Parts: sequence; structure tokens; C-alpha cells
Amino acid sequence: MSVEVERLVVPLAGVKISSDALHKLSALFTLLMLVGLFAFGNAAFLSVGNGMTVLLQTSVIGLLGIGMTLVILTGGIDLSVGSVLALSGTVAGLAVKAGIPVPLGMTMGIVVGALCGAVNGIVVTKMRITPFVATLGMMLIARGTALQITGAAPISQLGEAFGKLGNGSLFRAIGMGTNGLPKIIFPGIPYPAILLVVVAVTVAFMLHRRSIGRHIYAIGSNEEAARLSGVEVDRTKLAAYVMSGALAGLAGIVLMSRLVTAQPNEGVMYELDAIAAAVIGGASLMGGVGTVSGTMIGAFIIGVLRNGLNMAGVSAFIQQIIIGFVVIMAVYVDQLRSRR
Amino acid sequence: MNAQVTGSRPLVEMINIQKSFGGVHAVEDVSIDLFPGEVVGILGHNGAGKSCLMRVLSGAMAPNAGTIRMGDEDVRFLSPQDARRQGVETIYQTLALADHLDAPSNLFLGRELKTRWGNLDDKNMMEEARRVLHRLNPNFKNLSDPVFRLSGGQRQVIAIARAIYFKVKVLIMDEPTAALGPAETAMVADLIRQLRSEGIGIFLISHDMHDVFDLCDRIVVMNRGRNVGGYRIEEVTKDDVLSLIIKGEMPAGWRPRNAARTPQTGLSSN
Ligand SMILES: Nc1ncnc2c1ncn2[C@@H]1O[C@H](COP(=O)(O)OP(=O)(O)OP(=O)(O)O)[C@@H](O)[C@H]1O
Ligand SMILES: [Mg+2]
Repeated sequence: MSVEVERLVVPLAGVKISSDALHKLSALFTLLMLVGLFAFGNAAFLSVGNGMTVLLQTSVIGLLGIGMTLVILTGGIDLSVGSVLALSGTVAGLAVKAGIPVPLGMTMGIVVGALCGAVNGIVVTKMRITPFVATLGMMLIARGTALQITGAAPISQLGEAFGKLGNGSLFRAIGMGTNGLPKIIFPGIPYPAILLVVVAVTVAFMLHRRSIGRHIYAIGSNEEAARLSGVEVDRTKLAAYVMSGALAGLAGIVLMSRLVTAQPNEGVMYELDAIAAAVIGGASLMGGVGTVSGTMIGAFIIGVLRNGLNMAGVSAFIQQIIIGFVVIMAVYVDQLRSRR
Repeated sequence: MNAQVTGSRPLVEMINIQKSFGGVHAVEDVSIDLFPGEVVGILGHNGAGKSCLMRVLSGAMAPNAGTIRMGDEDVRFLSPQDARRQGVETIYQTLALADHLDAPSNLFLGRELKTRWGNLDDKNMMEEARRVLHRLNPNFKNLSDPVFRLSGGQRQVIAIARAIYFKVKVLIMDEPTAALGPAETAMVADLIRQLRSEGIGIFLISHDMHDVFDLCDRIVVMNRGRNVGGYRIEEVTKDDVLSLIIKGEMPAGWRPRNAARTPQTGLSSN
């Protein structure tokens, strides 16, 4: 019977590992429970507007989490994403301030993120420094650089175009209200949410349908075996770090665009949210286990928790405590299941 | 009849190979060769350097000194891919499987089958894997389980299948039957004979004297990193081989057991 269930679940979830699918189902269930709970406590929680807010807040953690998942799958960790986010955002902000067109300036930000990732990858693969130490170094370097180039001051008045990516939305429908004032019929799908979905689908496709994805899993599973099997271990790892850096850059652009200000102090401790999202979603810090869909659910659990607790008037400190418990419980439940 | 007698050239020669780790001399100045259609047993005590010598040939380990010759050319294997490209396939003692991937993914790891668009062709890989795995073990089911859930024998079968699926000239088998039951061991023995008849050269590392005498045409014994003797299998008895393995030398006053025949002079028994 259980075999039947696994057979059903596996193709649906698009993964090979059924325990992984099980974890994802329980995480999804947790997410739905949370939504139900918060909706019960406050009807406004389920409103379209609030849904969009959650989507927006989650998109940054989600983008970081997807990059983090790629690195964690190889058996590594990327502690630099929060700082890289800040550096990329400030580079984009400075570029736009200097008169460079917005799309080009934002691209420069993403490129800077990818470069930071490339440095991480090279330090890990060529200098043989452990990922924890290598990315810890990058965390300090990127943050320091962001503060240095801005003089630790936020760059504001970046213009309407800079804010479009973070604040604009697709299919926004505005009608005329009865009182003659414009009335929002549908707030539209925020660009960050669309971006998140596109990135998630692309990365999931890469992980499951392209050989680089298979190699990422293989390396995290058994690096020596992957090497002996002819996998280009260093090149694959480098690619994972570059993608993580680029996604951190993208997240930085989205966030700064949303604020219409380039903040060198943004994103402190975001790496921990990203790791938490991946881990809640079933990724193993030992490598070889984890999925994009799981991490997305993890990111939404964190996003919904933050948003719901906010609406319930719970302080940010208590929120941290609760999320801390959730991370530990998620991993504990997972271990219980695999010990069985 | 054996290949050397017909005067063909060796498939591969390893000449004066040396490998050390700090002060540990794992392989010291070892030379061996392998002819088409020949099974050469590599014997020796634990830690004698058998796996290291073979890993050098697999491209998994760079030697400190020595050359490898295939055909007329000196080759340098900087990576396992280099060796595979020359038709050197290896069943590693550690099996070298990625635990979280399933059998087909492991079988094709590093050389995945792809669709026209360059995407992974999992369907095709599954079919091919089923075909080759069933040849070795007809009871092999759960092909889509991650391999850490499989038994030691099943894992070993995957490692074997991976080595023979692709075009192989030289096959290195590092204790290929260590985890196998009697039926599977017999299957591997049959496989070795079949591959030999196809002209493939095989290096077989084994501690099982019965297998060695059953399958090998020739043996090379290593003792503390050195090659202490290479003999045709008819020349020696199990006691001779044990003496070589343990003491590093033949029993006092040893003469080839088949002394009636002319001694094989061309063999490397340094
Ligand atoms: N990666 C390594 N680093 C350091 N020393 C090593 C390494 N690999 C092997 N050695 C050493 O080299 C020697 C030979 O090891 P090897 O694995 O070749 O032995 P073996 O003959 O295959 O033994 P077994 O029958 O137990 O498999 C041993 O002393 C071992 O400790
Ligand atoms: Mg060995």
C-alpha cells in the first residue's frame, strides 16, 4: 500500500526520492495550517492585498533560498547571500544615480552578484577552503564593500523607473469607483512574484532535466564518486556558487527597487532565512537532498509566519523565536521519519 | 589459446609506477602489462598497494613517477574521463556510487543519455539500465530507489554494470564480488569469461584464491608496494601464492609447477 502511495506521489512531485516528497507534503500541510490559523485569527489575512504582500516579501527569501538550495545540494553553504544582496543593490543604485539606464544598472548589480559567487566558487574549489569559511569571508568583504562605496549612507531619489521592478505588477486593473475616484479592481501580480516563479521553474527544470542538475545532486551525494564517474566536480560547484551569487544579486535589485533606495545595510542575516527556507523544505546540509519546490514552500512558511504574526501584533523578537523553533522542528520531524 | 603466445601486443603496460603519500610508499617501482583477452589477477595483503596501482591506471590518482603505455603511445590520465576515453573502465573497491541517485542515474553518471534538446533522457536511461542490470541479476527490481536503500550486492551489480555498459578495452575489477552471494558471484565469473572471449583485458583484484585460480590466466603479487612476482597460473599452486602474498617470496627451492613445459621468459617477474 505504501509503495503504491510512493509511486503516486513521486511522479506528481517530480522528484526521485519519495521520502523527499513526503517531507514536502508535510511542509505543504504545515503551510496550509498556518494560513488557516492566521485567517481564522484575522480575516484581513486572506485578502488579495495581503496575499500580494506575502508574495512580495517571500520573493526575496525565495530567490535567495533557491540559490542557497543549489549550493547546499552540492554539500556546501553560502553565507554571503545577504551581503551580496546589499552590494548588488547598491552597485545598481550607484550606477543609476550616475546616469546609467535602469535596466543596464540593474544588470550590473546582478553581474556583481555573479562575480561574488564566482569568487566563492574559486576559493572553494581551487584554494580548497571549506564553503563555510570561504563564504563567511565573502560575507564580510561584500558587506564592507557595500558600506565603503556608499559611505554607509542610503542612496535615495533613484527615480520612478528604478522602483518599477519592485513595485509594479502585471494585469493591474483599475476601474472607476462609484464615487468617481479610481478603484483598484485587481492589484495585479507583482513583478517580483513573477520573477520568483520564473526563476523557480527554470532552476527546477535545470536540476531535474539537465545533466548539470544531476551532477549537482551527485556531488552532494558523494563527491569522490562523482569525480570517479567523470563529473566535472569543480566546474559544477563553481556554477552553483555563481548562480547563488547571481540570484542574491537579483534579490538585491528587487529589494532595493521595492524601497526605491539603495541600502547598504539591507539584508543582514538574510542568509539565515535562506538556509532556513531550504532546510524547512527538506534540504540536507550534508548535501545531495533538497528541491526547489521544497525550498519555495519553506520560504512561504517563513513569509506567512512573519506576515501573520505581524498582523497579530506579535513583536519581531518573538517572531524570531518562533521561526527558530520551526527550523528545529522541521529538521527533527524529518530525522524521525528517516530513522523509522 | 592465450594471446601472448600468438604474439600480439599488450593492451596496456604500466612501467615503473611509483606512488607515495608522505612517507608511505603505496606503490614502488611496479611494472605490469595486460594482453587482449587476458585476465591478470593482482594479489597482495591488505594495504599492499593494489588499489593504488589500479587507481593510477583509472586516472583517479596521479603517480609520482612512471609511464603508462597503451598500444604504441605513452598516455597520461589526468582524470577518470581520460582513462575512460581510452577504454579503461573501473569497478572501484568503494563502488563510487552517488547514494541519493537511483540506479540508472548512477549507471550513466557523467555520460548521461540526452534527448535531441540536450535534456536528460531518463526514460531511455531507465530502459537501458534495466536491460544491463537484468543481465547481471534478473531479480533486480527497485531501479528507481536511491541506491543507499539497495543491498550491498545490488550496489555492486550497478558498479559492474556501469563498467561494462560502455565500450571497454581494459577492465579493472577491484574486489568485484566482495559483497555478492554465490549465484551473483558465479554470474560475475561467467561475465569475466565472456568479456575475456571478446578480447577485453581484465585486471582482477581478489582475495579469493578459488576465484583467482578459476579465472586468471596470470597473477601478479604485490607485497608492501612492490611487485614480488608475476607468474602464469599453471606455474603456481595456492601455497606458492600464499607464500608470495605473506612473505613476499616463493617457498625455498621453488620451481615452476609445470616444469615439463618451457618456462615463459617474456613475462615480467621482477
Ligand atoms: N589517499 C590516500 N592517502 C594516504 N594513504 C593512502 C591513500 N590511499 C592509500 N593509501 C595507503 O597506501 C597503501 C596501499 O593502499 P591500497 O588501498 O592500495 O591497498 P590495497 O592493496 O588495495 O589493500 P586492500 O586489500 O585492503 O584493499 C596503504 O598503506 C594505504 O594506507
Ligand atoms: Mg584495495
